[in-house]
Amino acid sequence: MLALDSLSKHFGGVRAVDGISLTLKEGEIFGLIGPNGSGKSTTINLITGLYTPTTGTVRLDGRDLTAMAQHERTAMGVARTFQNIRLFGNLTVAENLWVAQNGHEQRRAHFLGRWFRAGGEHSPEIGELLKFSRLHSKRDVQASALSFGEMRRLEMARALASRPRVLLLDEPAAGASREDGQILAERIRETRDRGVTVLLIEHMMELVMGISDRVAVLNFGRKIAEGSPAEVQANADVRAAYLGSKHKDEELIHA
Amino acid sequence: MIDLVQNMLDGLAIGSAYGLLALGFTLIFGVMRRLNMAFGSSILVGIFAGAWLHGQWAAGMIPIFAATVAGAVVASAYVERMSFAWIRGDAALASMASSFAIWMQLEELVARAFPQRSYAFPTFEALPMLELGPFFLRPEHAAMFLTAAVLVAALHWLLTRTLFGLRVRTLSDSRDAARVSGVDVGRVAVLTFGLAAAIGGVAGFLIAATDGQISTKLGMWATMKGLIAMVIGGLGSLRGALVGGLVLGVVEAQAQWYLGASGREICTFALLFAALILLPQGLVGRKDTLARAEAVRRI
Repeated sequence: MLALDSLSKHFGGVRAVDGISLTLKEGEIFGLIGPNGSGKSTTINLITGLYTPTTGTVRLDGRDLTAMAQHERTAMGVARTFQNIRLFGNLTVAENLWVAQNGHEQRRAHFLGRWFRAGGEHSPEIGELLKFSRLHSKRDVQASALSFGEMRRLEMARALASRPRVLLLDEPAAGASREDGQILAERIRETRDRGVTVLLIEHMMELVMGISDRVAVLNFGRKIAEGSPAEVQANADVRAAYLGSKHKDEELIHA
Repeated sequence: MIDLVQNMLDGLAIGSAYGLLALGFTLIFGVMRRLNMAFGSSILVGIFAGAWLHGQWAAGMIPIFAATVAGAVVASAYVERMSFAWIRGDAALASMASSFAIWMQLEELVARAFPQRSYAFPTFEALPMLELGPFFLRPEHAAMFLTAAVLVAALHWLLTRTLFGLRVRTLSDSRDAARVSGVDVGRVAVLTFGLAAAIGGVAGFLIAATDGQISTKLGMWATMKGLIAMVIGGLGSLRGALVGGLVLGVVEAQAQWYLGASGREICTFALLFAALILLPQGLVGRKDTLARAEAVRRI
């Protein structure tokens, strides 16, 4: 459903992403791993439109997103979280969700309705999302007052509020404990069960290898392997790439 | 004592107009994280559009009010295109410098079109003076105060209760997050700019209708008063803008009465200086110190 075709992004002479092609299948959890600086985050930024690709295309269900603005891609069904959480700190938890929920309705509804509607943060759908994210007791709390873990949960809930077809998670377990990682894995599975395809970037190998249906490995902006978690872990190129950054190697083998 | 209270009343009235000017600046600053130096000159265009209508057809107060606000909004739309839309978001200084250039340009255009030193602006003459015991309240002062109160309440409702208001506030928190949440950032920014201009136009109309005559100096005057009130109250805070305006108005009215016109100017800038040294986060400092540090860094 989400298809990247020979996607490249060059910053001056640096080829951050160098001709990556990937195709995600409907309803799968797809892990994207690689050493630091291998182009994972750049790839996400190309999919959401924060960067314009040097060459290549991004398609969702056959529709070309490459020329679309970021908010238009959200309307098409692409949602993401950020590696360093970005919330609307001055808004309440429920308001964070309300804004995202209505982002893609801008063109459909009547002008007055879509700009001046009030009180929509109490809709049943938002209530359900708050329960799903275990944030219902915090619904009227300012987002900036949440704990780190709650912020992560809210960011993911906000991404889901826009009713995405595909959800891009950029290191959702960063700073989380092993137990938190297991809870997160459960929530990612539940998200997939809601019919959302997931692209997961993560350093916590246990998490990626445990829940991904398929995994692709990037190194120096190129895809060096793709397959089931077992296939990827057995791949010689992948081991070589991770041997370059010592500590990652052990994680990979033991996962 | 009676003088002191009477000055206070007059000061609160003119201060609420300053507060509206500061609100316009704050809205633009909060959303764009950039200063619009041409804000006052956009209002100037509006006021002269109103005065022109008055001189040409002796129009009534309502069409003149509409022309003033519309003129300010149209001029601001031009400023937005020239100094904000086409300049990247992180180039705050470039926007400020270019809006300074547009300020000069608009002011010169108005001065060419209206070469006399001053022009007449209609006043609320028909209304009687309001008596509150030993004190007097000019009807235009009452109008200023009421208009400011209503506008601030409406703005507060808009920004905290409506979807449009929430979108405006997402822009000052994180533009990246707003975009991926489906907010059309460019469009919200333009509408906020227009809203700020309309508020400025209302303030300009009230000030011009109080004085009864206008000159091209009003643009610079409005920019100065709005900026000073915003800084005193606290950058980026809507409540601060209003409080800053009221404080500035009262201090000026007292100084004018006891020290005269030149004493008033000295007091205005002494107040600004004191605010910058003693209360760098303003009278109504935002809790969010990170956002403040960010804001200060970008100026």
